[in-house]
Amino acid sequence: MNISKGQAFEPKILGFLCNWCSYAGADLAGVSRFQYPPNIRVIRVMCSAKVNPTYVMKALLDGVDGVFIGGCHIGDCHYAMGNYYTRRRVIMLKKVLEIMGIEPERLRLEWVSASEGIIFAEVMKDFTQVIKNLGPNPLKSRR
Amino acid sequence: MKNYSKVIQNIARAMLRAGLVDEVVAFGRDSPASDIIPLFITDERDVEKIVTVSYYPCSLAQLVALYGDKNKRIGMIVRPCDARAMVELAKRRQVNLDNFYIIGIECYGVLRTRNKNEEIYIFPNEMEIDGELKTLDEGILSPNCRRCEYPIPTMADVSCRIEPNGESSVTANTEKGRAVLAAANISSQQSPSDRTAIKERAARWQEKDFGELKKMNRDERLKYWLNQLDKCIKCYGCRDSCPLCYCEVCNLCPEKPLIQGGEIPPERLFHITRLMHVGDSCCNCGQCEAACPMGIPLSRLYHMLYKELSSIFGYESGLNVNSLPPISSINEEDLVKTGVDLG
Repeated sequence: MNISKGQAFEPKILGFLCNWCSYAGADLAGVSRFQYPPNIRVIRVMCSAKVNPTYVMKALLDGVDGVFIGGCHIGDCHYAMGNYYTRRRVIMLKKVLEIMGIEPERLRLEWVSASEGIIFAEVMKDFTQVIKNLGPNPLKSRR
Repeated sequence: MKNYSKVIQNIARAMLRAGLVDEVVAFGRDSPASDIIPLFITDERDVEKIVTVSYYPCSLAQLVALYGDKNKRIGMIVRPCDARAMVELAKRRQVNLDNFYIIGIECYGVLRTRNKNEEIYIFPNEMEIDGELKTLDEGILSPNCRRCEYPIPTMADVSCRIEPNGESSVTANTEKGRAVLAAANISSQQSPSDRTAIKERAARWQEKDFGELKKMNRDERLKYWLNQLDKCIKCYGCRDSCPLCYCEVCNLCPEKPLIQGGEIPPERLFHITRLMHVGDSCCNCGQCEAACPMGIPLSRLYHMLYKELSSIFGYESGLNVNSLPPISSINEEDLVKTGVDLG
């Protein structure tokens, strides 16, 4: 997305949503007609633990402004233990970002269940605002 | 010049003679004119070739994991970082520690590069250059060694300490270690190994190496790392020298869809992928940085992430074979925490 003068910065956010909870939550947000910013591009994954840390880094290195990972609440994982691993990976990823000099706030992990459409909409509003405040990804201009 | 190699030669000879091991892996000179190379020794007459110098050309842990005969019992004479790498490889089921007799040598640093004309031995506070004892100049040490907190191989079966006066003391840490010492007819001593001085040195250099990066603002730090990573010529030296990079089919190969082949410098993801694969249990052996022809400070990057993760997860790599790498395991405490972080 090119930002010309006077045009507001609209971030591109990549979302990895788990099939069983967050994707259904996002679906519910849509069906219930909750308003949220259209900046997220969703990739459906079977489990949040399917999100290889490399995917997140590739997205950010290729210039995406923010990455959102949505998983089931702790204890609700369809595959029993997936989200425990995701949590540890995200902690590591945030440290990698910090060390490299990228704002760790550009990566966000949230637990969103299938019944939490309103929470998904709230999280999207909040995350989009956070990314807007951070500005464009510094890596975009350094390709 | 004192014969510092005598004690490890004696242990290697005893292990071979008593039939504890089929072969001994150690660094040595194949002929008097040869450089220091890794040797696989099966004949006890060849143990004379084993030497100890303050230079470490490659990781022996990686060599035995890749090329070691899985059915043979192998004795290894290694530095603490390699002993830790062996423990990490055992966790990843790449080696079976039951087959290995690990003899660790206390190590207070190795040289950046080896000068062929002089023999240098490093001790905690002194160094011996061509038979002359001098105060240790930390500048000649490899950068990762200056940050190292593990000079004593407590995770090895036997740990040997060699003093500047040529004397040595040996400690058995495990049952296997006691068997080795019994075969060698050496009595185990509880060495009063003091880590405080070396920890102080490690803290000082970590503060210098990591502190100066942490003090930068984000943009400067990003610029610094991107400049470093863009020096890469994709020789795969860091991957090939790393004892923890054990995958037979590597994600970084051009046959895999992750990294576009034929591009120099490669995508930054090349190094970031490796960072995330080994960063949680990097044993700070410095082989990646030593192998890099472009002088990218890789061990600084990996060790920095390792230290950060180590303080979060309370994990120390390579000390205990029963504690699993933090990114690929969960523990009891995780089960009761419901937030998106472990705080």
